[in-house]
Amino acid sequence: MADHGTTTATHGGGGGHATVRTYIQVAIALAIITGVEVATLYIPGIPNPVLVISLLLMSAVKFYLVVGFFMHLKYDHQIMRALFVGPLLIAVIIILAVMALFSAFLLLPRPH
Amino acid sequence: MADHSATHAAHDPNIGNTGLDHRKMGMWAFLGSDCMFFGSLIGTYLAYKGKSLSGPTPYEVFDIPLTSYSAALLLASSLTMVLALAALQDNRVKVAAGWLLATAAMGLHFVLNQVYEFWTFVNHYNLTLSTSLFGSTFFVLTGFHGAHVTGGVIWLLLLVSLAWRGQLDRRDYTKVEIAGLYWHFVDIVWIAIFTIIYLIP
Repeated sequence: MADHGTTTATHGGGGGHATVRTYIQVAIALAIITGVEVATLYIPGIPNPVLVISLLLMSAVKFYLVVGFFMHLKYDHQIMRALFVGPLLIAVIIILAVMALFSAFLLLPRPH
Repeated sequence: MADHSATHAAHDPNIGNTGLDHRKMGMWAFLGSDCMFFGSLIGTYLAYKGKSLSGPTPYEVFDIPLTSYSAALLLASSLTMVLALAALQDNRVKVAAGWLLATAAMGLHFVLNQVYEFWTFVNHYNLTLSTSLFGSTFFVLTGFHGAHVTGGVIWLLLLVSLAWRGQLDRRDYTKVEIAGLYWHFVDIVWIAIFTIIYLIP
């Protein structure tokens, strides 16, 4: 195992690795995106649908960065990926289904 | 490397017939189920959003700078967690323990911020679990997340304690990696909560 070097991490079942440099780059990207997310709230005149979509996109990118690099899922075995991504998709479907059932809208105005 | 893996699998009771560590598989399966748990709570919050008959609205009570700071704390703690893993990989146990302690400290700071937020809601805005639909769904969702973070802090402190007593080294990499998976999961749940609950108008 010594051949993994000083800055790599192993991931049971996976073949790749991430370095400390990668971790720090990901952390910087996460900090920048979070800053932009919060700053977006204070910019006047952004249409609500644009604001909501951009916030959701930035959140999705942050989610991917943490899961892919910090949790090593990008490098991990496909069984591990299936174990997480499958239920994650079900969770998203649950959220959309519950919202549809209760006529809750993120982007569209509620009917009166 | 393949020969090494085969030998390792033959002798390590934690490696199943898939060739994967079943403790790690178990953690991923748990995290998958927890996704659905938090998905249900987030869905319920959104379903009842704006439908409270009384009480303060979210935007009267939310303190965005405070929660942004909390979000930054959790993100930073994810970095220190992977740095702990990298240090343990190199068998720098003391360094790994230091990063784990930093991770736990940031997690604890997050929990204290949440306690302060809840205290403010209850005492300044009279918003409790039973005040309104907003109060019920908000406190249940963020409360369960806070409980997850608290559990993570305790787990990390146990690992730090093991390291200080000389009972943790690079052979325990998977144990720390599994704790890390759990810790990063509470971070990604907060990424979702922060955007969906606090930021989206």
